[in-house]
Amino acid sequence: MKKVRLAPIYIALIVLAAISVVPFIWMLATSFKHGPDVYTKVPSLLPLDRKTGEWSPTLENYEYVFDLSGLGTAFVNSVWVCLILIPAKLLIDALAAYAFARIPFPGRDKLFILMLGGMMVPTITLLVPRVFVTQELGLFDSQWGLIVPNIASVLDIFLLRQFFMSLPGELEEAARIDGAGRMQIFWRIIVPLSKPVLSVVTITSFIFHWNDLVWPLVVLNDPEKYTLPLALQQLATAEAGRAYYIMAGAAVAVIPVIAVLLVFQRRILQGIAFSGLKG
Amino acid sequence: MASPVLADRPAATPDGPGRRRRPGFGRRDHLVGWLLITPALIYFVAFLLYPAIAALYYSFTDWNLRSAPNWVGLANYTDLLFDDVKYPHFWKSVQVSLIYTVIAVPLTLVAALGQALLINAIRRGSNLFRLLLFLPVVTAEAAVGAIWRWLYDPQYGLINAVLGWFGIPPQNWLNNPDLVIPALAFIAAWQCGISMIIYLAGLKGIPLSLREAAIIDGAGPVQRFRKVVLPMLRPTTFYLLVTGVIAALQVFGLVYVIFSAANKSVTGGPEQAGLTYVLHLYLFAFRYDAMGAACAMSFILLVFIMIITALQFKFVKQEAA
Repeated sequence: MKKVRLAPIYIALIVLAAISVVPFIWMLATSFKHGPDVYTKVPSLLPLDRKTGEWSPTLENYEYVFDLSGLGTAFVNSVWVCLILIPAKLLIDALAAYAFARIPFPGRDKLFILMLGGMMVPTITLLVPRVFVTQELGLFDSQWGLIVPNIASVLDIFLLRQFFMSLPGELEEAARIDGAGRMQIFWRIIVPLSKPVLSVVTITSFIFHWNDLVWPLVVLNDPEKYTLPLALQQLATAEAGRAYYIMAGAAVAVIPVIAVLLVFQRRILQGIAFSGLKG
Repeated sequence: MASPVLADRPAATPDGPGRRRRPGFGRRDHLVGWLLITPALIYFVAFLLYPAIAALYYSFTDWNLRSAPNWVGLANYTDLLFDDVKYPHFWKSVQVSLIYTVIAVPLTLVAALGQALLINAIRRGSNLFRLLLFLPVVTAEAAVGAIWRWLYDPQYGLINAVLGWFGIPPQNWLNNPDLVIPALAFIAAWQCGISMIIYLAGLKGIPLSLREAAIIDGAGPVQRFRKVVLPMLRPTTFYLLVTGVIAALQVFGLVYVIFSAANKSVTGGPEQAGLTYVLHLYLFAFRYDAMGAACAMSFILLVFIMIITALQFKFVKQEAA
């Protein structure tokens, strides 16, 4: 009786999974098609020739978006921003979280509650004055303007603090008796024990900042400095009638993140249940 | 919340015979604590606390970035709310965001709950389906916008082709004012993966004994769902509803991408049908340099979100009582 009931469930799931995945297949198929093959009466999920129906993929769309419309530069920019931003952010957040979890100093808990309160303000409310602060710091229209204003995250500090507080204190006491200082304890005990939560924070930060459109949109003017989402948005505007270029650009933006998801799926799906996907 | 903090316990006696063996950190420990939070604190003050206060101040000024802010009192607020010559699309943008929220949030929750129930009912392949249904979530909104514009393409898009199999005539999804919001809401539901994962965690938290008791009492699957599963998921649903409403009211990036490609200059789609509140705010801040008015809009949004959230909490408390 049970087996009979499972069939409709699997059918429903396959339909839902198809709705979820087909847009990506459609994106890839379009990105590998020759221009004229894209605009056919019956849409095809494979890069086929419009007349003969034969398999005829091409890489020229990727060559075009990479070399001529600046997505190559944007890709490099995105990689650089993430390479500097994510480790710096992780370090700042983890050090602060360690102090909030373990080092008792006057005013600590009040300060922590104030910071949590700040998290409740919608990011949109802060958008305009944040741009102004960035301008005042001389970081407007530069890659540092993407990095510095995102260099810490209250949410990540909160998550890390919760985890650090759950670690047993005995190990630290033992290390202290052996003469270890705060920093030694942090690097030798806390960090190795916290690898799961540190990796969750790293991966979700990467996904968020790699994908972020709004902040680069308001801080950058110079196309040479664009990150991928912004360059893709510009490409989609400039080449509005050429879906094959836009889909190649979208694939360039999407594939690295999907690769990260496939590699770290368990960590991400566990972490998401607690934190969502916000920077 | 307060867990035993390491140094608190043994440090209770300031000077005792066992002082050297006590795992304390000395007086400079406070200093180390402050030192470690300093970078995060600077960030917090510069990019959260100060901007929040500054935004409130600017909302009472007439400010265009080039000249110094000029105090105008409540004028920005009253003009936004009542002057439909100066801000002709303000109420339209409120309406668009509200309708979007009312359609997109329930649609997303139903899709997420449905997916979670289905995945929870199977064993083989549940990880694979979970992963596939999660893919849209990690996709950049710039790419989501680009992909869906192409899917919704009236002539060559996949959506119209698929609907054609069922005899539904092709629609001009993003250029028909009546269809813009449903089309956007469908994209939101397509990206319901986070809610699905959270529902899945909620479902795993329902004690097996409850379901078994319901089965013994002769409850069918529909009754079990209504009398056991849904009530047990109430906290989850409430959490997703509150966060979902807050997010939906702020929808911007996706709409920006979808409509900036359509008509080059951003106007919010056909007849402003896709002019969401935050898109409207963005235009005033970064296209028309009306920073003061934009800040006022952002505070109206903040207050509105607070009211909506408080109402939801109140409603749930009444229900529970």
